[in-house]
Amino acid sequence: MTFLITFHWGWLLGALALGFAMGWVAVVHRAPGVPRWWMGLLSVLALALVIVALADLVPGRAGYWLELLLLMFVPYLAGCAVGSWLRAWVVFRSMRAKSLG
Amino acid sequence: MRGLFRWSGKWWPGVVPLLVLWGLAAWTSTAPLESDLASRSSAALKDAVLDKTNVMVDGRDVTVRADAFSQSGRSSAVGAVAAVPGVRLVDDETRLVPDAKPFAWSVERDVVRVTLGGNAPLPAVKGKLAEAARSSLKGVDVADQMALARGAPPHFEDAALLLIGQIGQLKDGKFTLSDGDVTLSGMARELGGREAIAAALKKLPDGFKVAANEVKAPPYILQAYKDPVAVTVTLSGNVPDDNIHAVVAGASSRKFFDEKVVDNLKTSIGAPAGFVNAVVPALGALSRLSTGTLVVSDREIKLSGDALYDAAAAQIRLTLPKDVPQGWQVKADISVKPQAAPVDPTVCQQLFSDLLAKGTIRFETDRADIDRDSAGLLDRLVEIALRCPSAPIEVAGHTDAAGEEPANQTLSEKRAQAVIDYFARAGLPADRFTAIGYGSTQPLASNDTSDGRAQNRRIEFLVR
Repeated sequence: MTFLITFHWGWLLGALALGFAMGWVAVVHRAPGVPRWWMGLLSVLALALVIVALADLVPGRAGYWLELLLLMFVPYLAGCAVGSWLRAWVVFRSMRAKSLG
Repeated sequence: MRGLFRWSGKWWPGVVPLLVLWGLAAWTSTAPLESDLASRSSAALKDAVLDKTNVMVDGRDVTVRADAFSQSGRSSAVGAVAAVPGVRLVDDETRLVPDAKPFAWSVERDVVRVTLGGNAPLPAVKGKLAEAARSSLKGVDVADQMALARGAPPHFEDAALLLIGQIGQLKDGKFTLSDGDVTLSGMARELGGREAIAAALKKLPDGFKVAANEVKAPPYILQAYKDPVAVTVTLSGNVPDDNIHAVVAGASSRKFFDEKVVDNLKTSIGAPAGFVNAVVPALGALSRLSTGTLVVSDREIKLSGDALYDAAAAQIRLTLPKDVPQGWQVKADISVKPQAAPVDPTVCQQLFSDLLAKGTIRFETDRADIDRDSAGLLDRLVEIALRCPSAPIEVAGHTDAAGEEPANQTLSEKRAQAVIDYFARAGLPADRFTAIGYGSTQPLASNDTSDGRAQNRRIEFLVR
């Protein structure tokens, strides 16, 4: 794991930035959210992929690419969470300033 | 927290660029990752004792293909690769090298190269043996055809190195190790090479023994050439040591009393058994020839030349094979020198005197048996006697003054008679000769010195 992170830190940083941007946008985005049952399905799929990766079930390069995908998802999601949270905080503060003003 | 959950439903559009990013990452990083893992896996196997090592990387999975020399070597090699950071799975395709029964190894020498064949137990040993062959035979091409196998006997390396050290002694041939048995064949480069190899093989490590030693040596040769024109005897070839050299040189100077002995002998081991006991009688036979060549080659004696008279030729042909040790072969190609023209008795007397001035007929101490070293001289005397066939000859024996006079008298008579007997065996009529003993009554020199006494012990010929 340490090896993968050190070897791919640039890509992971990119995924983090992408996630941050997506999270930043998501708070004020008016598009419809993913339905709840879709979310559940995707979570199960993600869990299944994690299990497959941890169990080393996919051989060779495909296995490595799967690991890379899952690994890049982590900073992406973290970036989304941080971005959304920060944006929400900024929006909330400006709204409060507006209402006070 | 609720908000985060709500917003997360809107994070999915970013997945598309994320997937693009992932695709780029996979596209660009796979090859560098694989080569990085391959180089570090190979580095991890650097100290492992393996042969034909091949590391293949597919993603983060490493396939190790190699020939290992023990079960623990296999597992430690796989463990070393598994411990490389970044490696996910190790596919163990190592195998044990085959077990050789019997464990055979050979070093072969021919005109142009040395070939190492058979099995070596480890790559390091294989390299060491090839290197040893190169350094012990500088300038000779070394072909390493050794395979690797398990099952080498203990101390294999020491035994193989010892044999490589000896291959230089061969002109061509082969040394083979089969488990603990050493087999040698071929031709030694020089005289004594065979013996040197046999001596070196005494230091073979425990568990090894010489099963067959068929190394042949070049023939062990001694040659002697009697040249009547230059009045020389040239000795060339080999003698086993300084003592035997001295014996051969001493015998030559006594037997060839008239000729100058040119001694070109070299000392070299490798002589056949009974060498000196064969060479001395053979030189004695050569001394009886007018001109001749003696070649002693291993256990074969070839003598060719001209005897001084018929009976001498017959005697040499008959007695030489009996005089040499058993197992030696004699090939005598003796012809007879044409008899010299008859001369006056006075000339005969002169010839006798001249010859006896150069050499003395020797006898065994205090006995009337003629020393074999005097055969050449006696033959020359017979030849002279044949040139004046009608002249009666008086053979006079003299002794030194040591001992009782009656005994000396008897001894001198018997010695004179012994000479006449020799002449009779040579085919001369015995009634031409008269034996007279003078004891010590007619000394030539003082009896006080050993030189003087030696001069006084003599046989004289008087042609009537």
